[in-house]
Formats: sequence, structure tokens, C-alpha cells
Amino acid sequence: MAYSEKILGRSIDPTVHDMLARAEQQGLETAWDRYEAMLPQCGFGELGVCCRNCNMGPCRISPFEEEGPKLGVCGATADIIVARNLLRMIAAGAAAHSDHGRDIAHTLLLTAEGKGGGYEIKDEAKLEALAGEYGIPTEGRSKEEIALDLAKAAYAEFGKQEGPIQFTRRAPAKRVELWQKMGIDPRGIDREIVEIMHRTHIGVDNDPVNLVLQGLRASISDGWGGSMVATELSDVLFGTPTPTHSEANLGVLEADQVNVVVHGHEPILSEMIVAAAKDPEMVKLAEKYGAKGINVAGVCCTGNEVLMRHGIPLCGNFLQQELAIMTGAVEAMIVDVQCIFPALGALAGCYHTKFISTSPKAKFPGATHIEFHEEEAYDIAKKIVRTAVENYRFRKPGQLYIPDEKSACMVGFSVEAIVSALGGTLDPLLDAVRSGAIKGIAGVVGCNNVKIQHDYGHVNLVRELIKQDVLVVTTGCNAIACAKAGLLLPEAAEQAGEGLKGVCKALGVPPVLHMGSCVDISRILVACAAIANALGVDISDLPVAGAAPEWMSEKAVSIGAYVVSSGIFTVLGTVPPVLGSPAVTELLTKGANDVVGAAFAVEPDPFKGAQLMVDHIMEKRAALGI
Amino acid sequence: MNKLESPFILVDPERCVGCHTCELACAAAHTAAGSIIGAVLAGERLHRRNRVVQVGTVKLATQCRQCEDAPCVRVCPTGATYRTETYTAVDQRLCIGCRLCVMVCPFGVIHLGKTEVAGREKSAAFKCDLCIDRLAGPACVEACPTKALSLRYPAEVIREATQVTARQFLDALESQKRLSSNP
Repeated sequence: MAYSEKILGRSIDPTVHDMLARAEQQGLETAWDRYEAMLPQCGFGELGVCCRNCNMGPCRISPFEEEGPKLGVCGATADIIVARNLLRMIAAGAAAHSDHGRDIAHTLLLTAEGKGGGYEIKDEAKLEALAGEYGIPTEGRSKEEIALDLAKAAYAEFGKQEGPIQFTRRAPAKRVELWQKMGIDPRGIDREIVEIMHRTHIGVDNDPVNLVLQGLRASISDGWGGSMVATELSDVLFGTPTPTHSEANLGVLEADQVNVVVHGHEPILSEMIVAAAKDPEMVKLAEKYGAKGINVAGVCCTGNEVLMRHGIPLCGNFLQQELAIMTGAVEAMIVDVQCIFPALGALAGCYHTKFISTSPKAKFPGATHIEFHEEEAYDIAKKIVRTAVENYRFRKPGQLYIPDEKSACMVGFSVEAIVSALGGTLDPLLDAVRSGAIKGIAGVVGCNNVKIQHDYGHVNLVRELIKQDVLVVTTGCNAIACAKAGLLLPEAAEQAGEGLKGVCKALGVPPVLHMGSCVDISRILVACAAIANALGVDISDLPVAGAAPEWMSEKAVSIGAYVVSSGIFTVLGTVPPVLGSPAVTELLTKGANDVVGAAFAVEPDPFKGAQLMVDHIMEKRAALGI
Repeated sequence: MNKLESPFILVDPERCVGCHTCELACAAAHTAAGSIIGAVLAGERLHRRNRVVQVGTVKLATQCRQCEDAPCVRVCPTGATYRTETYTAVDQRLCIGCRLCVMVCPFGVIHLGKTEVAGREKSAAFKCDLCIDRLAGPACVEACPTKALSLRYPAEVIREATQVTARQFLDALESQKRLSSNP
């Protein structure tokens, strides 16, 4: 089918073209249509110079040279307003990741107390390793006793007043010393977020540099705190991912099965949905209604969580959430928290699809709310799956349309899995980097954003990097884009440069390693720390770089801030709302180098972005003398 | 409709919420980059030709009314400010920044600003040119999120106004007739 230029311009994914053409025919609206209706977007907002922090406002600083107000009512300059707004974005992002971590710690606590409704401790080796880090005795103690102490210790990180957050000490000693010297070593996860809200209240912190430093401190409490707690304790509860195979894109939905789509971020619910979908009682019920089985598929990061641990296939990434419902094949779209469109309720109303919200923190218009509590996890999951199964008979055959496309993928590369693939030590990887077979390592992560052709930034940036012998590690919606593009397969090594191709072939791994969900960017930090420690240098000395080619969420702002705070040069594919302040822009893109040894760059063109990363990697190699 | 009379931008104060979006759209439309972010990234100057003001509690956008007998054109000593059949504009190459147009404009919608002409920095007059080179018409009209702005022809506005007032007159006559027949 020939698609209009408008549709082709929205995505590079053929399933998206297919579904958008159907949406157009049926008069259904998507995020792309709503974005067009929103244009032009507010220029003050784009520049970050609008302040609504007190009711003398709203104030906005004139971007016009000679005229218009240059000060808010309180006297705040564009620099102050931009810095405050940026900080509040970091606070929201760090809060989202960290609250996710808190939920996992809560689940571990309940499980250890024997109150977890079906959860068990799956990775005892990791439990013991983490207990060791926290100085929790393990000799002669049951896993529940150890887990109880670990859960309490993790819980305590959130309310700590004077620090340090234990996992921050995984960073190289030089990095920790730098954080301490700059006054950005976090004291407690919640404390740093609260302090941002205090400092950005009217009349508190009005020094852009001092403000941005607090933003970095809060972001470190996310990356090396809340997110890392989420990753590590999820591994204890659900198992540390190991390489496994699966498939991705809308074609994973099954025409003759009950399709249950999990969307959102935390693994607590989706793990149980996966288990309940295998329950013989549920499978039998599905057969009773004429379905050949129950097919669980994921969207966004909860999808990544169950993909990494169970090989559950992925429907697609962030911008495909509406399209999944438009297949008419989804019996239930089950959501927890983060990145879920409130538009899904009205859309699901056009189909037989049940849109089921589960978190007491996240309710949606048009959703059926079946509240999830860890204490009765399995029973509630079963109830939700039953609702989906019983909905199968209401499927409207005329609405059923599943695109054919799906790609195979190899996933599950936790740090432990990478080390194991390397034969138990990082040395083969370090040797490959030293020899130049692998020039360096790039972490490519982040969302989708209607401002960039869907997946264009992700796929092209990654392709360009592997072509130039840069090993890519990926999480989040970038990982899903790569999975759909066939880049997460060992055969994709053919698209890599000669050096990287040789390494991938020798190890039987893809040139792009899927490390998990967005909180699992903490795995990338752990890997960087391990490499830096092995070489006896700081992370900022390594030939590594980061990128978020299609970022949109506040979480991504926090991620960018902690990645740069960790010493990693980061390329952003969409412009953050800071250009209204030359001082803050300069601080983020240049000055940060003098503070944390890394900075941001903005480059919407993925080919140029890749080149910036490769150039940075080559500079770092030269400085290391390799 | 007399298309030879200049069209002009009409503001509906009941719809204007004072968001200043029209100002930014105006500035963006007159840059090479074509967008606010693009212009800031490229270091281009931003100039609005319109201005949102508040009178009491009412907010409204103001810009050149495209006067038929424009004082700015009459007083310009260098011919920089000129009138075509359908709009007035400034040729910044000829402008010497003497402010005469600023002084005589009864609406205060011309201002002086820094600009670069042929590689030389100078001050010149800025005023609304109805985005005459823009295919989609005036950027402010397109950008207004509440549709408070529209590009209108005087004849059209007059026709609409007379329709409304004529209807009111007829209604008055009708009710008078009813009153006199049923005293």
C-alpha cells in the first residue's frame, strides 16, 4: 500500500504506517494528530522562560532583545527561571524512578515477611551479594531473614538525612571524591527531591549554578539510588536477566489467542500477570471461549522487564500504545504507572478492549480500575487475566487487524550476563577496547517523541555507531526500536564495522545489547564503574558516551543529569527547554565539563549525533593512550 | 468585495487570553530558521511586529492597521516606509532610524530595533507586513490558540457589521409593530 507523505513522515516503522492509515480511514485520533493540533507550541515554554511558581505570576521573560520584561515580578531573570524549571523537571523524573524503586523495596519487604501474595526470592546469589554491600550478616540465616534486612536497608535510603546512599559507593573512588568536593554527593533520595521543591519556591535559591548543582545531586540520588534500588531488588525478586530470545512489534499479537498487553513501568504487576496467564485454570477458560491460548505482550518498560526475564514479546514502544489497541485484537490493556496516555480510555471505548488501571497512584478516564495490592498479587492478577479472557468473546471481527511485521531479538544482557558471556571476566571486553576492535561503548536510551520521526533517531544513531565499531548498550524505548529494527540479533553484527563484527561473532552476541527498562540504566552505570575500576581511572576518562535521541519525559531529564554527573558525555536529540537562558545553556553544554568532567550536546540529526559521540570516544582513547 | 482596500488583522478581545503566542509566531516567521528554538540556536535576533497589551482587565493583541492614508508613509524622508495597494511595509535597507514613523503612528505599532542589513548592524523600523511573503498568511493568525485573530477585508467587516445592526433594527421595528397592534 502506498502511504501519504504525512503518514510516512511520522515513523520509519511499517506497522505504524499501516495502523495510521487505518486510523485515518476510521477517523481515529493519535498523538501525532494531537501534536499537529497543538502547533505552534508556546515559544515561552520551549525556551523555559515561563514561571508559575507563585501567584504574583504567571511571569514570562521576553525573548526580544530591546523590549519586553526581562525580570519576573520578584525580579527573577531568565537564567533563574530556566534553572528553576529545569530543576523541577529533574525532581519529577527522580521522583518517578525512585518511587518505582520504593515499590520494589516494599514488595521485597512483604515477601520477606511472608506477606507477598505469590512473590518469591528468585536470585539468592544477588541477595547475598547485596547483603554483603550493606554489611548484612548472611551466615546461617534464611533468605527471608536476609531479605528483610536488605529491604529495610533499601527503604532507609529514601529517608536518609546525611547519606551516603550505599550504591553511590559503587562509583569509582575518584568520582565519589569529585561529588563530595562539588557538594553533590546525595544525602538521601527523598531529601534531594524535597530540597529541589524548597529551593525553587519563590525567593529561595536564585543562583543558576547553585540550582543546577542541586539538580545534579538529586539526579545522582536517582541513578545511583532509586533506579539502582529498583534494578537490584527486582533482580533479587524476579531473577537477574540472562540472554533469551523473543520478538517485537505489533505482529506479536495473536489473532486466535487472548491478547493481554501490559503497559507502564514496574515489574511487580506484570510479573504476576505473566504467571497468571500461564495458570491452567485461565488457559482452560480461554479455550472455553474459543481462544487457542493467552498471549501476554508488553509496551514500554514494564514490557522490557518481562521481556528481559521471561522472553515475553513486545508490541512496540511508547508511540505505539494507541496503535496496539487499534488492532482490535487486545482483550485488555493493563497499566500501572508512567508514560500511559490518558487518551487510551476513549480509544479503548471504540473497541472491545478493556483498559484496566491498577495503581492507586494512577487512574485514567475511561479505565476500569482493578486495584493491585502486593499482598494478594496472584489473586488480583488472576482476576485481571480472567477479565481479559472473558472479554475475548466480545472481540469484533470487523475491527481485527494485526500487521504482519515482527522482528526476532536476543535480549537479557544484565551486567552479570555480559560478564558471563565474556567468560566470567570483563578482560576480553577491555582487551577489545584496548586493541581498538571496539572503539568504545555507547549507551543509547530514552523515549519516543512526536517531534522526531518515530524510531528514526533511535535506529539511525545506533546503526551509525555500530558501523563505526562502537558497542551499543540500550534500554527503554530505544531498546524496543532496536529490537523492531533487527539490531538485537547476533546477525546484526553484519551491519557493524569489522572490529565490532569480529568480537560479536566470537562471542555470539548482538552488536547492540538490551540491558533492560529505563531504571536499568543503572546497570550501565554499574558496568561503567566496573570498567573504570578495572582500568584504575574515573568514568569520565573512559571512551564512552550516552544519547537519548527521541527523549520526551521528565525522567529522561533526570537520567541525562545523572549520566553527565557520572562523567559521561551525552547527546540529546530534542532540545530541552533551557535556551531562554544563555547561562544555563552554557553551563550544561560547556561549564559542566569543569564540574563533573562531562557535558550535554544537542543534535537532532542522528548521523551528526553519532559523529559527536565517536569524536568524543576517540578523544578519550587518545587521552588514555590507546 | 473591494480587494484593493488593504486587509488588516482583527482582534476579538473576548477571545484573547494574553498568551503572547502571536508575538513569538510573528518573530519566528521573520527569521531564516522559521522557529523560535531554531533562531535562538542559530543566534538570530527575534523581533515581534505586534504587541499584546492590557487595558484594564481586557487583553488584546495590537499591530499595524494598514492605514489607507498612512502617516508613516507620508512622513518617511527616505522612502523606506512604503505602501502597495494592499499593505504598508518598511524597506530596512533604506531606513535611517529617524523615528518619524514611530512618532506619527497613532497606534504605537512601529518600533525601532537592531538588525543587520548587508552585513552591517543598524537600527531600523519594524512593523507588521501581514507576512506578505508567507503562503499560509499572517503567522500570528495561524498561531493564535484561541482564534482571537483573523485577517479581514474592510468590506467584509462592514458587511457583517451592517448585517448585525440591520437585524437589530428590524427586530426593533417588529417589536414596535407588535406593541402598537396589541396595546
